[in-house]
Order: sequence, then C-alpha cells, then structure tokens
Amino acid sequence: MTSQEIVQAELREDSSRGKNEARRLRASGRVPAVVYGAKKASAAISVDPKQITRILHSASGHNTIFDLELGSEKTKVMIVDWQYEPLKGKLLHIDMKRIAMDEKIRVSVPVHLTGEATGVKQQGGILDQVMREVEIECLPGDIPSSIDADISHLAFGQVLRVADLPHGGSLKFITDENQAVAHVTSVKEEVVATPDAAAAEATAAPAEPEVIKKGKQETTEETAEAKK
Amino acid sequence: MLMPKKVKYRKQQRGRMRGKAWRGGELAFGDYGLKVMEPGWITDRQIEASRVAMTRFVKRGGKIWIRLFPDKPVTKKPAETRMGKGKGAPDHWVAVVRPGRILFEMEGVSVTDAQEAMRLASHKLPLRTKFVARIGAGAH
Repeated sequence: MTSQEIVQAELREDSSRGKNEARRLRASGRVPAVVYGAKKASAAISVDPKQITRILHSASGHNTIFDLELGSEKTKVMIVDWQYEPLKGKLLHIDMKRIAMDEKIRVSVPVHLTGEATGVKQQGGILDQVMREVEIECLPGDIPSSIDADISHLAFGQVLRVADLPHGGSLKFITDENQAVAHVTSVKEEVVATPDAAAAEATAAPAEPEVIKKGKQETTEETAEAKK
Repeated sequence: MLMPKKVKYRKQQRGRMRGKAWRGGELAFGDYGLKVMEPGWITDRQIEASRVAMTRFVKRGGKIWIRLFPDKPVTKKPAETRMGKGKGAPDHWVAVVRPGRILFEMEGVSVTDAQEAMRLASHKLPLRTKFVARIGAGAH
C-alpha cells in the first residue's frame, strides 16, 4: 500500500558514523537509518522518528511504500527492519529498502481474524492465534494491508491453516500451506493442591538436577577432601 | 517448581547484571505481557506463585506463557555455621532478568482481565514491572 508521506532524510557522512555519533544524533531528535536495494549502493542516513512511527502505526504498517527524499533524489522505499529500545520503546534504528514498483517482492502481511469462533462461543474453548504474519510474494502495488480470515465456523479442536486463508489472484503465499494460523483449544483449570498432595509432590521432586560428566568426579573429590 | 533437568556444574558464581534485555523484550506469543523494568533475580518459587495467581484469576479463560526459566543455582550455607569450609549447598534456582524482559504473556482474555491477572502476578515478584499489550489487541 502506498502512502503520500514524504520522509526527509539527511545523509550521514563517514565522520558522523559510529556509536557515539549515533547517540548524539538520537539526542538531537533524529534517528539513524540505512537505505539499500534496487542494485544501488547503500547509504547511511538519518530520519525523523515521528514520521517513521506514524508509518509503522498506520493501517498498512511496515509494508507502507512511501517517498524518501534524500537531497534532490526521491525514491520509493519500504521499512524492512526497525529496532526499539526495550524500556522506553523509542526507535533506535531503521532499515529501508528501495522498491522497484514493477518487480515482485516478498513481504510479511498481518493476519486478522474476524468473527467469533463457534468453539469459543458455544464450546468454551479459547482461540489461540499461532501465526500473526504470513509471507507473500506480489507486486509492491498489490500488497494488502492485512489478510482477513473469517473464523466463525472454527469449532473446538479445529485448526485454521494457511491454505484456508483467502488466496487473492496476484498473491502467492510463500509460507507453508499446512502451517497453522489459529486453533481453538482448551486450558486446564488450576487444581488447588491440598497440603498432603503438595507435601507428596515436594518429596517426589528431585532436589538437585543431574550433573553432566562432572558429577561423579566432583563427588569423589569431595569425599577425598572430607577424609583429609 | 521449575529447575533444569541436567546441569554441567552444580554451583555458579553470582555474576553481574549490566545492560538491558536486548532479546526477549517483545511479545512473541500472546496479546498481553508483563515487562520487568529493573534488573534482578526471580526465584523458582516467585515464578510459580505468579503463575498460580494468574491461572486462578483467569480460570479457564486464557492461555499463559512463561518467558523466563530459573537456570541459575543459588547456594546457601546451613544456619549457625562458621564462615569458610567452602561454598554452601545448592538451595534454590533463579532466573536472571534484565530490564525490558517480558516475563509472562497471556491470550484469550479481555484487556481488563489481563491487566488484573498481571497485577496479581506482579505482586509476587521482587521487581518493578509494567503491563504491555500488542497494538490492536483485544479484538477477540
């Protein structure tokens, strides 16, 4: 899906590379990025994280194709990788790929489940979505924002597979057709252990795990030391 | 209680907990999770207590994933023992966590139920935690 957003990028010179420069760049409000692909040389750039966050949080997410303005050059790009800081969730670095609109590309598209499964509604199961993204191959202009699958027919114990997802004309699924996307399963209820059962479990459980190789030698050494 | 089946060495040194959790910091299975905000050790008993608190709250409603494993042995000397005479015997197991690590994940429940379950679980832990949710979670 293409976006009207134009991301202004600045080229990072060789002297402004490395960990320290990247930190200074982040402190100044921009974020380091790299752009590559389309048989051209890669370029180290910096972009505005707010624009990238807006693209990532849009309906088409990371599959959004937008314009990257680097000096006088304007190219169509897509976000292929991004890193977040684990505590504050700030963007740290972005990888962008130049896109040729007439060449097929492989992208991961989110799978959205619609409706309420009969297994959940009537049979008391819980829906477990195992796969959240499927890999497809198509032209950049044909990338769907998501693949919607109706799960209202899914009964308890049934599995929705990649083969069951709606296959459009121009989309080619790369992910194995037999892989499970979602299934309705059950969860065992926690049995409140009686004090006797808890005590029996405590005695039955091994106090220490088995030691690989080292165990026997260690015990003989320890006994030898004890004798001394 | 969680513990390894086999180990190479019975005892370990304490080690340092520097830096952040650059791995295991994003939701991988469920829609909701509990993220730890400071470094520390979480014992096997604390993990079990958290798990029990969560499963009792959600009953049959949701699925829970435990994203940490206590693989570090902690030794302890017997009470009223003089110092020296070697390292103590293995006493319990801990998981070393760095800030940013996802401890538990949950799916198949509403946001409010997940928040309450995670709140109960966090009360069993010795570290500061934060509730996290996947973007667009809660559709089912």
